[in-house]
Amino acid sequence: MIGFASLMAGVVLLLLLVAFAANGWMAARDSWEARIAQDDNAGAEICPPEFVGHVFSRQDWEFIRGMRAPELAALFQQERKRVALVWVRQTSAMIQRAMREHATAARQSKNVDFPTELKIWRQFVSLVLICGTLSLAIQIAGPLWLASLARVAQRLSEQMTNVQSAFRPAPPVSADAAGSE
Amino acid sequence: MLSQAIWWSSAVLEALVLIRGVRGRLVLHYPVFYGYIFFVLSQSILRALVLRWYQGAYGPLYWTTEFLGLAIGCWIVFEIYQVALAPYPGTAKMARKVLLFLLVMALARAISEFWSDPHILSDTTALQAERSLRTFQAVAILALVLLFVSYSITFGRNLRGILLGYGFFIGERVICLTFVSERERDFWFYAYSASYIAALGLWLGHLWSYQPSPELSGKLGLELEYQRIAAATQRRLREARSYLRKVARS
Repeated sequence: MIGFASLMAGVVLLLLLVAFAANGWMAARDSWEARIAQDDNAGAEICPPEFVGHVFSRQDWEFIRGMRAPELAALFQQERKRVALVWVRQTSAMIQRAMREHATAARQSKNVDFPTELKIWRQFVSLVLICGTLSLAIQIAGPLWLASLARVAQRLSEQMTNVQSAFRPAPPVSADAAGSE
Repeated sequence: MLSQAIWWSSAVLEALVLIRGVRGRLVLHYPVFYGYIFFVLSQSILRALVLRWYQGAYGPLYWTTEFLGLAIGCWIVFEIYQVALAPYPGTAKMARKVLLFLLVMALARAISEFWSDPHILSDTTALQAERSLRTFQAVAILALVLLFVSYSITFGRNLRGILLGYGFFIGERVICLTFVSERERDFWFYAYSASYIAALGLWLGHLWSYQPSPELSGKLGLELEYQRIAAATQRRLREARSYLRKVARS
C-alpha cells in the first residue's frame, strides 16, 4: 500500500515537472495570459443575457420540430450547439480571469486566510470541471438536454461568490474615522 | 563497471557544478544548495575510501550519510521556498500552512502505524525508511510546485534549475525505491544511482552563471489596491454566476 502511494507520488511529481519544464515557467504563464486576453477579446462580443437564457431552452426546438423540416432541424441543432459552446467558453474564461486576478492579489497580501483560500480554490476547480463537463456534454448530446447539469453549475457558482464575499478584507480605517473614536 | 562509470560521472559533474557556483558567485545566493552538493561529493569520496580500507564500516557509514543528505535535501526545499516566495507573503503564508499540514499528516500516520505495530521500528529496513522519507519530500515538493503554478510565481533560471533538478531527482528516486531489490543489483539499483546524474546535468545547465530572479511587476503596495482587485474579481464572478443562473432557469 505504502509502495503504491510512494510510486504514485513519484510519478505525479515527475509528470508535473515534465509539464513544467516542457512549457517553460514563464512560457506557460504567458500562454495562459494570452489565452485569457484572447478570451477578453471574445468577451467584447459577449452573448446578451436574454439570449443566453434561450440557449438551453427547448421552446425554440419544439417550434422548429413542429415545422417538420429535417434539414432546418439539423441546422438549428448545429447552430445552437455552436452558440452553447461559445457561451461555456466565455463563462469559463470569466471564471479563470476572476481567479487569476484573485491569485495575483492574494499572493502579495499578508491578509490571506488559509481556509477561505482553500474554499475558493475548491470552488474554482469545481466550476472549471463543471464548465469542462458542460462543454463535453454539449459536444456529445447537444445543449437542449443539459438544464439539470447547468443548475448544479449555478449552485456551485453561487457558493464561490459567497466565499469571495467572506474573503474580502475590511476597508482601511480612514484618518477621519480614526480621529472620531 | 557500470557502478564505476556512475560514480565517476557523478563526481565530475558535482565538481563542475561547484566550480561554476564559486566562479559565478552563485554559492552566495544559494548556500544550502551548494552545501548539499559539497556534502554529496565529500560523502562519495569518504564512502569509496571506507569501502576500500574498512569494508565493515561501510554499511553504517552509507546509511548515516544517506539520511544526512536527505535532511540537507529538506533544507534545499526550504531554501527554494524562502527565495522564491520572499516577494509574495500571501503565497508564502499558504505554503507554510500546506507544508505544516503535510508534516502533521505524515507524523499522524507514522504514530498510527507505530501504535498498531510496536515492532515496526525494528522490522523496518533502512531502505523502507528512506522510501517513506523521500515520499514525504516528493509530496512536499509537489505541493510547493502546485502552489507556485496556482499563484503564477515567477522564477529565475537558477532557482528554476534547482527546483527542477531536485524535484526530478526525488521523483525518480521514489520510483526506484519502490522497485529496488535489497539483495541483488538489478535495473532499479542502477537507475537509483543514475537518477542523481540526470539532476546534476540539469543543475549544470541552469546554474552555469548567475541570473537574478525577475523583478516583481505591478507590486501591490497598498491593501487598498488589493481590495479593488478583489472587488473586481467578485463582480466578474457574479457575472459568471448570472450567466449560469440564466441557463438553469431556462
